Amino acid sequence: MTKVELRGTVEAGARWKPRVVAFTCNWCSYSGADMAGTARIGYAPNVRLVRMLCSGRLDPIFILKAFEEGADGVLVSGCHPGDCHYVQGNLYTRRRLEVFANLMEFVGIDPRRLSFAWVSASEGVKWSRVVDQVVSQVAEAGPVGSWAVLHAPSTLAPQPRQPAQPPRQPPSEEEVRQTTLNLRELARRLLENGEVSRIIGYAHSAGGMSAAPAFIDTPEDAERLAWSANSPGNLTAYLSGPNRARRPGKTAVVVKTCDARSLGGLLRENQLPRDEVVAIGVSCSGQWSGGRLAAKCYACESDISPLADWSVGAGGIADGPHPGTARAVAPDPRDAEIAALASLPAGERLAFWTGEFDRCIRCYACRSACPMCYCETCIADKTQPQWIPAASSGPGNFAWNITRAMHLAGRCADCDECARACPSNIRLDLVNHSISRSIERSFGSRVEADPAAVAPLTTYRPGDPDRFL
Amino acid sequence: MSATATLLPDLARITGARDETYDVRTLQIELVERDRAESFTWRPGQFAMISVFGFGEAALTITNPPDEEGFIEITFREMGKLTSALRRLSTGQIVGVRGPFGNSFPLDEWGGRDIVFVGGGIGMAALHAPLAAVLRERDRFGEVTVVVGAKSASDLVYRGEFDEWQRAGGARLIRAVDPGGEVDGWDGEVGLLPDVFERLGLSGAETVVVVCGPPVMLDFMLKATSRLGTPPARVITTLENRMKCGLGYCGHCSVGRFMVCRDGPVISGEALATLPKEL
Amino acid sequence: MTALGWHLSEKEWTEWLRVLLESGIAVIAPVLGTTGTSEFQRVGSAEEAAAPPPSRTAMSPKKFLFPQSEVLFSFDFSGESATLSQPEMERGRQLLVGLRPCDAAGLRRLDEVFLSEPEDPTYSERRQRTVIVSQACTQAGQSCFCTAVGGSPSGREGADLALTKLEGSGDLLLEPVTAGGEELAAPASASWRPITAEDRAQAARQAEAVTSAITREPLPPNAPPILASSFDSPAWAEVADGCIGCGICAYACPSCSCFDITDSGGAACGSRCRSWDSCAFSTFTRHASGHNPRADQPSRYRQRVMHKFSYFPAEHGGEMMCVGCGRCIDLCPAGVDIHHAVLALASGATLRVQARSGVKA
Repeated sequence: MTKVELRGTVEAGARWKPRVVAFTCNWCSYSGADMAGTARIGYAPNVRLVRMLCSGRLDPIFILKAFEEGADGVLVSGCHPGDCHYVQGNLYTRRRLEVFANLMEFVGIDPRRLSFAWVSASEGVKWSRVVDQVVSQVAEAGPVGSWAVLHAPSTLAPQPRQPAQPPRQPPSEEEVRQTTLNLRELARRLLENGEVSRIIGYAHSAGGMSAAPAFIDTPEDAERLAWSANSPGNLTAYLSGPNRARRPGKTAVVVKTCDARSLGGLLRENQLPRDEVVAIGVSCSGQWSGGRLAAKCYACESDISPLADWSVGAGGIADGPHPGTARAVAPDPRDAEIAALASLPAGERLAFWTGEFDRCIRCYACRSACPMCYCETCIADKTQPQWIPAASSGPGNFAWNITRAMHLAGRCADCDECARACPSNIRLDLVNHSISRSIERSFGSRVEADPAAVAPLTTYRPGDPDRFL
Repeated sequence: MSATATLLPDLARITGARDETYDVRTLQIELVERDRAESFTWRPGQFAMISVFGFGEAALTITNPPDEEGFIEITFREMGKLTSALRRLSTGQIVGVRGPFGNSFPLDEWGGRDIVFVGGGIGMAALHAPLAAVLRERDRFGEVTVVVGAKSASDLVYRGEFDEWQRAGGARLIRAVDPGGEVDGWDGEVGLLPDVFERLGLSGAETVVVVCGPPVMLDFMLKATSRLGTPPARVITTLENRMKCGLGYCGHCSVGRFMVCRDGPVISGEALATLPKEL
Repeated sequence: MTALGWHLSEKEWTEWLRVLLESGIAVIAPVLGTTGTSEFQRVGSAEEAAAPPPSRTAMSPKKFLFPQSEVLFSFDFSGESATLSQPEMERGRQLLVGLRPCDAAGLRRLDEVFLSEPEDPTYSERRQRTVIVSQACTQAGQSCFCTAVGGSPSGREGADLALTKLEGSGDLLLEPVTAGGEELAAPASASWRPITAEDRAQAARQAEAVTSAITREPLPPNAPPILASSFDSPAWAEVADGCIGCGICAYACPSCSCFDITDSGGAACGSRCRSWDSCAFSTFTRHASGHNPRADQPSRYRQRVMHKFSYFPAEHGGEMMCVGCGRCIDLCPAGVDIHHAVLALASGATLRVQARSGVKA
């Protein structure tokens, strides 16, 4: 199999000295380093310190930027749990970095390049020991070159997109037709009696999508609404952020069970008031395209989300969430793909993901299609500093895809819209799903539809996994 | 303009710098290669693409008149990525220059007429070159009035040149600040520029009004001049849009079919009325 | 032009590609990628180039003339002197095969932009060492509308050589369109059979069949002027309703030519890149001050449509900057359909009423 060489690896080894960027908090670790200095405790001179007020300030993009600018390794160091100057900043960071480290490992980055430590202001000796250890680890790993300018051919065979037998059958044409009629009926009613001023739903399309988003503002226009077993598009993306298409008054939105999770997320993150949105849950037996069930649907347990204000199915219209009877589920095929990837040697994982990200054309369709990407100004569009290189080449593509994944960590509704929108078929679904799974493994929690549920990375527990030195 | 669209700048050295306000700065720049410097000729109103390597490129109007050979001047407000980087440079440092690009002010058509320059904020930078050119050939024109406005007294640009402009029957100068922008002892006008302009009745049917400022000011200036009887053909402005190539083909600066870099930046109120409302 | 065309067997066609490959010409053809879609790629064997997958490539071939990202120059101020250096250009010829007629026509639109004064030097350089072989379509997709914008599934605009695969025999008709195409074929063509009248008749029948399989309506002939006068139409908001502001349409488009210029690296050394850009992005027109002349998505979508169907035609004798390949329709994650949009606007009606008029019954 392909051996991935980091560019610059074979540079005269004798002359090369590892460069490590250390992000330290102001109160403990920076003072600890200072203590080492004043106490004349020697340590490897290869480390460059960047002081932050709190390790909680650390956005993983800082780490990516350090690598992009030529660091061979990165160390993040903060106060010991319980000692944070801001009480809990380091505890949030512990969770965030746990997820980030797992993601880096999943994409095949050498774990020796990324270290975390707790060093207090009085631990000059520990600081010295940690730096020596980190530097020797990075020395072993070798020069990173330009870490993301990894041009490894993507020689891996395409992952089978859908190996398993779907647990359900597609709905019958009659069921789909009845559902459509009921949807129109409800839409007409809601618009006629003025309960809502707009309905965001699906309409038939002659183009590439079997069903395209439709914006219905009059009862007559409700005739355009349609439901099909292939109704992609998470319409909650139109509720907030740059795509916002709500109208004054209430806006109703047609949601599948997966879409409703992002509605819950938007409500949780205060992106819209609950009383300005009406969720029309449409009975969904899964998304079918070309006879295949979408991977996200295999393990989906309910045809209607608990967030639904209305339930619409072939059988009729009901007030509130009225899911059908318990239905058959099967293991999520994405899990099998992730497990297959995870079982490969790190170099091959890196080759796979480099091949994926190399195809990125930076059209930002992933961001645009994502309901949770509601920032008015995305970090990719910020130029001071230019966090993410604008050109669609190695470093920028890697930084963009990883940064977006991390910004969605603990927030992603698992709707796979980014992967559907991607014109290059990059397996963003696997990136995001692997993060969801790593969060589940590490913290035992997942992203829920319930707006009152606490998002996994906005909380912490004393006993959280701790990989800090 | 050469037949080839070069995106490769000429290297240039900063030979002088002065602060116009706390966030507006003027730089004097000389192309490093002598033959390039000699062949670099421009007309008032044209702009250059200025590079700060590592940060990018931006379109900035050339503010000195063309008879000052050998160097160009630019005046900019620290605003985005490029101008922030440019602000940090000092004499002796290297920048890049491409250009000159775009059309220029029709000074030939102004002979014998009264001319009013109305510059709002950093918009005054775009009027500096034509004003200087007019003052050099002062006898060719009628009354010359300069209305310079800003949001506050400390934002007025080119304060150091006000005396020179007014010297020896040069120009009548009117200074204005937005309401609330005056300081103790302020003896200029207070009000939004179009209001000040109209209140003082500064233009008539035969006057040429040269205006540059934020997009919203332009709208109000066109209304004010119209009420004072100045035909839109004689209201001249210079547009600004995000630009990348400066050569009419990167697509960024278009306003309908009008490419600001190629067909502008100088445009009359009359022509402006034919463009889509997209400024 | 002396030669009228040749009738080649599949073997002869493959053999010729092999000769070209062995002579060092870079051959670029649609190849089925690992993700199940086909893309234009440089191929290593004549067999790969000779039998392109039937599906249309997801992206247009424009990147071989106008790369998605190219280094304009690099700069180094770290030493004694400041230097700018332009990257070495490849010098070898490249042959693009398997282009659909719309793809070739799209490249011709790029020529209009990049080769008209002032000429873009890197595009021009690439163009001069490129030979384009278009291949007549044998099937029409749901989103195809070349015939609506003056094209044809057997059109030759932009091609140096035109290829037609005969159904049944699988033989190929190769016809020179430009002197450059004829020149490339000259050494080999001596041994090829000339095209017969029967061949032409079959090609014409095939072309007719594909043309009639295109279901999308032609645009009214006065679409450009109607659009020009509908800048303020409320229909823009409707046709762009779903637009989410990503760059897929512009990046997949064979004729979209807008670009961005960005620097990377630090003040000491780095490079300046030219990359594709899209008028759908809010950053496309946003000033440093934050002011944005196109403040909302409908105004950005309007720019896209107007540029292609009104502004460009007005300056290019009515020729549209859209070749009807349908990629933007197929790939749009929000179901925005440019053909519908133009029809709706040009008919003066709104999309609400015109919902399905883009497709014949």
